[in-house]
Amino acid sequence: MSKFIIQVNSPAYGSGSSYNAYRFAEAAVQNGHLIDKVFFYQDGVLNTNSFNSPASDEFDLQSAWLSLSQQYKFPLVNCVSAALRRGVLSVSEAQENNTKHWNMEAPFIMGGLGELVTGIESADRLVSF
Amino acid sequence: MKKLCIVFSQGPHGNAKGREALDLALLSASFEQQVSLVFTDEGILNLLKNQAPETVGAKDYIATFGALPLYDIETILVCEAAMKELALTEHDIKLEVQFCSSQAIAEHFNHVDEVLVF
Repeated sequence: MSKFIIQVNSPAYGSGSSYNAYRFAEAAVQNGHLIDKVFFYQDGVLNTNSFNSPASDEFDLQSAWLSLSQQYKFPLVNCVSAALRRGVLSVSEAQENNTKHWNMEAPFIMGGLGELVTGIESADRLVSF
Repeated sequence: MKKLCIVFSQGPHGNAKGREALDLALLSASFEQQVSLVFTDEGILNLLKNQAPETVGAKDYIATFGALPLYDIETILVCEAAMKELALTEHDIKLEVQFCSSQAIAEHFNHVDEVLVF
C-alpha cells in the first residue's frame, strides 16, 4: 500500500492529462492505495470551475472527481493564487473581490502551495499530470 | 524533508509555467525542503539577462530568480546541449549555475525524491 499525492496541472477540457490523472487516482484507490489529496495547480484549477457544463453525452470529469473523492474520502485542493488568476473563486474570494458570482464550491477547497509541499512530504510518491 | 527537483523546460513569456515553477521552488524551500532546479530546452531562456517582461504584458517574475540564494537554493543545473542548441554562452546567463551534460542531469534525478516538470 502506498500513499500518493496527485498534482493536476491541465484543465478539465482540452487536454487529456487531467482525465489521465482521474483514471490513475481511480485505479490507485481501487487497488488499495491511499490518496493523500489531489492538488490542482496551473490550469488544473479549471477542473473545479462549477460552470463547467459538458454536453450530456460527454464525460463529466468534474463530477467524476467529486464522486471519487467522496467515496474514498480524499480532499480536492486548489492552489488559491493559481485559481484567482484564472477566474476560479469560492464564495469567500467572491466577497473579498466584490464580485456577484462565484464558481467553486465544496467539497473543492482552496489552499496554499504549502499544502502541496506538505502533501509531498507526507506521501510516498507525488504523481503529476 | 524531501529533495525536490524542479525542471524548467519552457520559455518564460508564452505561458505561466516558468512563473508557477518558480513560485513552487521558493515556497518549497521556505517549507524547508531541499530544492534543486534544472533548466533545459527553452526553459534556459528564463535565465537570460536584460529581460523586460512588462513590455509583453507579463509580470516580471524573472527578477525573482535573484532571490534563490536567500532561499538556499544553490543547486542550479543548466543543460549544456540546450545551451548549444540555442547558441547561448555562459555570459548570457544571469545566475551562478552549473553547466551539465544530459547524463549528469539524469544522474541528478536519481538523487532526488521527486521531479516536477514545468
